[in-house]
Amino acid sequence: MALLEIRNLHATVDNKPILNGVDLILDAGEVHAIMGPNGSGKSTLSYVLAGRDGYDVTDGEVLYDGRDLLAMEADERAREGVFLAFQYPVEIPGVAGLTFLKTAANALRRHRGEGELDAMDFLKFVRDKADSLDINADMLKRAVNEGFSGGEKKRMEILQMAVLEPRLAILDETDSGLDIDALKVVADGVNALRGPERGMLLITHYQRMLDYIVPDRVHVLAHGRIVKSGDKSLALELEAKGYGEYLDAAE
Amino acid sequence: MPDGSGHMQPFLDQALAGAADVPGAKVKWLSDLRGRGAAIYGDRGLPGRRDEYWRYTNLNELGKNDYQLANGTAAVDVPPLPHRAVAELASYRIVFVNGRLRSDLCVLDDMPDGVLIAGLGDMIAAAPDRLQPVLGQNLDLHAMPLAALNTAFMRDGMVLFVDSGVSLDKPVHLVSIVVPGDTPMMLQPRHLVVLGDGAKATLIESHIGGSDVAYFNNLVSELSLGERAELNHYTFQEEGPAAVHISATALNLAAAASYGGFILQTGSSISRCETRAILSGPGADCRLDGIYLGTGSQVLDNTIYIEHVATGCRSRQVYKGVLDDKARGVFQGKIHVRPGAQQTDGYQLSRALLLSPRAEIDTRPELEIYADDVKCSHGATVGELDAEAMFYLMSRGIAADAARRILIEAFVGEALSEIRLSQVAEDFSAHVRNWLNTNITLAAAE
Repeated sequence: MALLEIRNLHATVDNKPILNGVDLILDAGEVHAIMGPNGSGKSTLSYVLAGRDGYDVTDGEVLYDGRDLLAMEADERAREGVFLAFQYPVEIPGVAGLTFLKTAANALRRHRGEGELDAMDFLKFVRDKADSLDINADMLKRAVNEGFSGGEKKRMEILQMAVLEPRLAILDETDSGLDIDALKVVADGVNALRGPERGMLLITHYQRMLDYIVPDRVHVLAHGRIVKSGDKSLALELEAKGYGEYLDAAE
Repeated sequence: MPDGSGHMQPFLDQALAGAADVPGAKVKWLSDLRGRGAAIYGDRGLPGRRDEYWRYTNLNELGKNDYQLANGTAAVDVPPLPHRAVAELASYRIVFVNGRLRSDLCVLDDMPDGVLIAGLGDMIAAAPDRLQPVLGQNLDLHAMPLAALNTAFMRDGMVLFVDSGVSLDKPVHLVSIVVPGDTPMMLQPRHLVVLGDGAKATLIESHIGGSDVAYFNNLVSELSLGERAELNHYTFQEEGPAAVHISATALNLAAAASYGGFILQTGSSISRCETRAILSGPGADCRLDGIYLGTGSQVLDNTIYIEHVATGCRSRQVYKGVLDDKARGVFQGKIHVRPGAQQTDGYQLSRALLLSPRAEIDTRPELEIYADDVKCSHGATVGELDAEAMFYLMSRGIAADAARRILIEAFVGEALSEIRLSQVAEDFSAHVRNWLNTNITLAAAE
């Protein structure tokens, strides 16, 4: 059984059709890249999978481990192992990063029937994760993402992903706006999490990140549909030729 | 004191009936003061919608019950004191049960020289001369008709005198516990705090009601700070769910005096905390902060009047409200800068979070400025929980009700971080968290 199976997915935002029949199968252990021009529906796809309000599925279905993903609330999906790394991580003043992440991690642990970690144990757990990813855990002393640079926000997303150990990770343009050092940290984080139990969707506009994270499959999303799929060479082809032909083809 | 229609104003008959044998009835200035209170209240009666600053808080509720002045001598079982951290804090504790001093529950040993903490009733009996220059001196009874009613009754409360130059070594903890009987009772406590020049003190007040029987707690506090005096003042308003809590605080700050007030309101069905501060000496600093958390059909009112009389004074107010269900909040704040009060620095902020479509906040900020070299600003925001932040938290596996609690706690937490006394901060935080755990559940979100 596939880890994620998207069948004929249609979705609207404010009654405007954005996804027009997405089909995609992701097996555990694989990393797929979804590439496409601006406005093709990449972020909408990630929000629909994560369960954000305001994104209305009008047709199709999404199976996660054979279960109806769309029937679950956002928090339920996360507890079942779905993780979205946000394109624009949200700043939450007044909520300490460490408290936030501990609350999340313990919610997942409870759900899996594992004991909760106390503050000391959690701190050690997070520090080890952060050290292994070359991320400064002191970021967690500050309010969630508040006043963070773009690079810090993306590192924080990767650290959260490492701590929450999802089965399905969706990275929504995690590479955008990063300098080469930050991009390496993000890529190392993703590569460290690759494993036979885990599937990942890398949503990106550029091929650049795929130099560091080699995908098993590459899909082109245009006008709300997957219009072409291939191996990693498709990404290089896109880099060379641009998205022009897909924009025209889908018109 | 008829109101013209031949009816006595509510509650006034009880004050007049007791006037002849109330302690201090034969002390002329005191009975004159009580009489003045009775006259002003008799004239005005209960404030209603015709009163400019009572438009949003309706006291019709008070007409529904036959509130009788609490009989302070009746024996009652006193519940244990809440607020663990503060209760364990070394403090001078003065305890009132049903509005009357309970000496047996007080902890007032080893008071330093130059400090007096006593019951007003005892002071009236033993040393009324010490009260005469201060009692009722800073209170505008015409502006606060219920303070006039309180003045007509005046018989017990706390007196705190700190002489010039004396720093109180421990906080004073004023505890008011209401244990209602079978019928609605009324309390009219009167507190008086006078700090001499350079004196320093911390006052913590806990207002607790342990029952769902209706009662009416109409309290008045007069606070007077001498030059360079400092008072930190923390109040927990946790009256019972059927209580009407009306608190009037009159504050006078001499030159370079500094006052920091913080009120956490969660109790009562109707509550109004009104503060009128007069910054009468140059360089005085007045900070008033508050958090109010309402649910059900509670009405929580914060009304503030700051009068800048002298030059170079600073006033700050930051109030944050969280309102769920059909609860209503009121914030009225007026900064009044008198002619000549140059270099005034005034700031006021009211922020409210509405958790339900039926919750409501009425905000009325006002600036009235008669000096040309001043810096005054005010702001008010009303909002709901941030949907993006909610989604972010939920996308990490945090359930909706927990996410709501986290965001609400963050919203009020900023104000809590200003509290200097850690035990008080701890208790405020615990109380807020407890309120959230009780009230912000999935059921409440639907």
